[in-house]
Amino acid sequence: MRRGISIAAAVCALALTATACGSDDEGSTGKAKDAKDISGSLTYWDTSDATTEAPVYKKLIADFEQKYPKIDVNYENVEFASIEQKFKSAAKTGKGAPDVMRADVGLIPEYASLHYIAPLDGTLALKGGTDDFTEGPLNTTKYQGKTYGVPSVTDTLGILYNKKLFKKAGIEKAPTTWDEFIETSKTIKKKTGVEGTYLNPDSYFLLPFLYGEGTDLADTKTKKITINSPEAVKAVTTAKKVYDQASAKVDFANAYDNMQTSFKNGEVAMLIQGPWSVTDDLSGKAFKGDEDNLGFAPVPAGSTGKPQAPTGGHDLTVYQGSKNLDAAYLFTQFMTSSKSQQKIAAETATLPTRESAYTPEVTKDARIKGFHPIMKTARPRVALPQVGSLFTPLVQQYTKILQGDVSVKSGLDAAAEDFKKLLPGYTIGS
Amino acid sequence: MTSATTHSPATTGALAKTPAPRPKKVRGREERSTLASVALHGTLIVASLVAAFPVAWIVFISLGPKTAWQSPGEVLGNLSLDNYVKVLTETDFPHWFGASVIVAGGTTVLGVFLAATAGYAVSRMRFPGHRQLMWSFLVTQMFPMAVLIVPLYELLARFDLIDNYLGLILTYATTAVPFCAWMMKGYFDTIPHEIDEAGRVDGLTPFGTFWRLIVPLAKPGLAVTAFYSFLTAWGEVAYASQFMGADHYTLAVGIRTFATESRADWAMMTAASVIILVPATLVFLLVQRNLVSGLTAGGTKS
Amino acid sequence: MITALRHSWQKYWYAWAMVAPVVIVLAVLVLYPLGYGFYLSLTNANEANVARDIGAFHAPATYKMVGLDNYWSILSGADGDFYPRLTWTIVWTVSCVALHIAIGMGLALLLNRKMRAKLLYRALLILPWAVPAFVGVFAWRLMLNSQYGVFNEMITAVGLPAQNWLATPFAQKVAVIMVNVWIGVPFNMVALLGGLQSIPKELYEASEMDGASPWQRFVNVTLPGLRPVTHTVVLLGCIWTFNMFAVIYLLLGQNTTGEADILVTFAFRKAFTGVSDYSGAATYGIVILALLLAFSTFYRRRQLKTEQA
Repeated sequence: MRRGISIAAAVCALALTATACGSDDEGSTGKAKDAKDISGSLTYWDTSDATTEAPVYKKLIADFEQKYPKIDVNYENVEFASIEQKFKSAAKTGKGAPDVMRADVGLIPEYASLHYIAPLDGTLALKGGTDDFTEGPLNTTKYQGKTYGVPSVTDTLGILYNKKLFKKAGIEKAPTTWDEFIETSKTIKKKTGVEGTYLNPDSYFLLPFLYGEGTDLADTKTKKITINSPEAVKAVTTAKKVYDQASAKVDFANAYDNMQTSFKNGEVAMLIQGPWSVTDDLSGKAFKGDEDNLGFAPVPAGSTGKPQAPTGGHDLTVYQGSKNLDAAYLFTQFMTSSKSQQKIAAETATLPTRESAYTPEVTKDARIKGFHPIMKTARPRVALPQVGSLFTPLVQQYTKILQGDVSVKSGLDAAAEDFKKLLPGYTIGS
Repeated sequence: MTSATTHSPATTGALAKTPAPRPKKVRGREERSTLASVALHGTLIVASLVAAFPVAWIVFISLGPKTAWQSPGEVLGNLSLDNYVKVLTETDFPHWFGASVIVAGGTTVLGVFLAATAGYAVSRMRFPGHRQLMWSFLVTQMFPMAVLIVPLYELLARFDLIDNYLGLILTYATTAVPFCAWMMKGYFDTIPHEIDEAGRVDGLTPFGTFWRLIVPLAKPGLAVTAFYSFLTAWGEVAYASQFMGADHYTLAVGIRTFATESRADWAMMTAASVIILVPATLVFLLVQRNLVSGLTAGGTKS
Repeated sequence: MITALRHSWQKYWYAWAMVAPVVIVLAVLVLYPLGYGFYLSLTNANEANVARDIGAFHAPATYKMVGLDNYWSILSGADGDFYPRLTWTIVWTVSCVALHIAIGMGLALLLNRKMRAKLLYRALLILPWAVPAFVGVFAWRLMLNSQYGVFNEMITAVGLPAQNWLATPFAQKVAVIMVNVWIGVPFNMVALLGGLQSIPKELYEASEMDGASPWQRFVNVTLPGLRPVTHTVVLLGCIWTFNMFAVIYLLLGQNTTGEADILVTFAFRKAFTGVSDYSGAATYGIVILALLLAFSTFYRRRQLKTEQA
């Protein structure tokens, strides 16, 4: 990959067309340059689903190369499991790093704090301003006042439910509080014999419980660790109650696969899930050819009375050490344009991040129509560079709590102690 | 903590019992009673089933529809090669395969070369440092690479060996060679020194003796070394996924793109796994006759 | 002195020439990371304070030497994780190696007899060795799925209760040992089989003439004859199992209590999620290496003693 770039650079040098390849004069801002004059090659790391989503991204890249024939894009699909370590090793050494990368929104603070990704304010990447972007996804790109990414797709968690099973159990509407959620689940089990829900024991799926009580892993303003606050204890107690009373038996190692399979086969009536799963749901026998059977609702509310779930999704980021920043900015802009987002949405049913991309064409897709209103309940996650490290102790304690090895309070206390080691300057308490 | 080692009787009871009848089995040349025969074959059949079942299972699942992993009952009614066709035609699989062949082939050649030369030198020549060398081979095996991957990455980056076949081949060779050299040393020890003498009398240099006389005699040992090096490279994921870019993905890395954060394409993954298994199994069948003699000579003389 | 050197060079240059390729490759690819790792373990380096030079961004290194603090925090038990992980790592290593040897020995003894279909058995029994570890682990993970896996179906078919194999720490521990035993037995079996074949037949005949029972023959002829092989296999088995990363990491996934993590997987998880803790990872790496070195030295010394005795 790097060889490709250096050859391109060499070709540029030979051609002596300073306007075509010199980013020297403009530095990294790339403001004054005409997009048509940018040339060279760039590498793009994609994390989208290689079989269902990647084709549309590849198509867009072909469009980009057609529009800007002087730029050559190397598309690389990188397995999600290792991309974080891989990118960080490459970014630090400058060897093998991409120019543009699709990054999970949760990783932006980490990459930004380490200066691996470039601030994009005032560059071609954000040309046209950010007014069109919806607030939630746009917030995910901010770190300490600067913008480090351009939102590409967004998502959150909500309730997905099997309308037929609900009807069979005599339930009119989706539950709006966790208590209702548990009751609904029990009723379904009693009336239909089908499991009410399947709790995903992953810590990401714990966030709606925490947010529902108005708390989070930590509070960046007061520098407090809040994971063992009374609110958090209440939230996790509720989660434990769902696990004990309302959920199908959880297979911890295969939780995601199993809950997804059970739901789409009609063996489980409702899930807390995200829009990315909807395409898969519709391929299962409970929903195949019967798309209307899939119901959508916001996550249940906690005692704050407000349903809230984390903002997920992906942003496009530019590697700080890119040898071809101008092309990288331009590519980022192109891939996140309203037109590109509409194409992506139409093909993959992932949610766009621009208001203007929700065209009638896009919203008529049942998958997008269902989740679009739920995006209102999405709230930003705590923007800490260490958030990735926090999830490891959290999930370990959460698993212990669910399995009944420790009490909610002592499990969260232990997690808080681990957080304290990872967050210098933070104290425990709310 | 000891309770952790207690196996559920359902899973390994049968396995754990196999060593029990061992005292009788040493005799070898005697007649067996029918009962003993049944017990012998029975045990071996059960053990073979346990050994082969997981492999057979993914082969089975790969022949079914997309949902076969969750409902294996549907496989028999819907046998097809669709998953294989998809893997071979709709993905970069052929490309990954090529990269794996290059990397595994390179590792094999380099591994055999390094292990044979070092093994021979240590076996034949009492040069200063040969003891330390053997010991340091062992030490390299103790190296927890997973934890020290960052220094390694920076080292390769410095030599521009990231996203480069040579970098990966060297890394794998480092993993495989110490054990192989140990094994080869043991194997060379079993080859009579008179052969070296004969070579010297005929006026061959030490290298000539090694190359013309010893290497041909050491084929079983070399075969095992080749097998071991090949396998080290063929199925490795961690280094390959960290070091290589998409143009140079090996199979093990490539098929992991079938699994995303939210969903694994088990149908594709099983089919791809089976295709990955084929070359490994072929290499295995080629060398398996030599495996016992080659490995042991190395083992007996440590 | 110089003449001694020259003499030594003339005498041994071809031996050194032959080991030079290996020595160079290992020195660079193993010693450098080791040395660098050791250096890091004496600092408080992490991803946020090492020197970086990325495009327009330049930062000098701001980490500092902390002496043996990292070691102290691990070895004093202050981090609360080291000793529990070490205990389990030892249990894991001992049980895996014991099962490897016991089952490998049993099968080798069976295969060492004259019988029909011997080659077929042998090929099938060695098969797991040819399976890349990640494929093997992946197959097991499918099979061990508590809801859709064939493993539970098989054990319920014979009347045993279904298990949630990869859920509780205890079940996870049983499962990882089981899978690792599956992966590791063939190597041990082959090595021991070769060892059996290298025991001279005459020894058995002599022992038989003395009227030794089969058990006595096993204890007095087979076991001593196998000793060199078992020594090697046990030593290597312990080293490899102690550092066996793939099985535990890939089989259990992310939603675990961490109780089934051995030192290597624990250190990896701890150091490389989020902002990487280079000094912490390196310290664990060096501690693991030191533990294995101590064990091997002790083991070899004992082995030499028994050989001399």
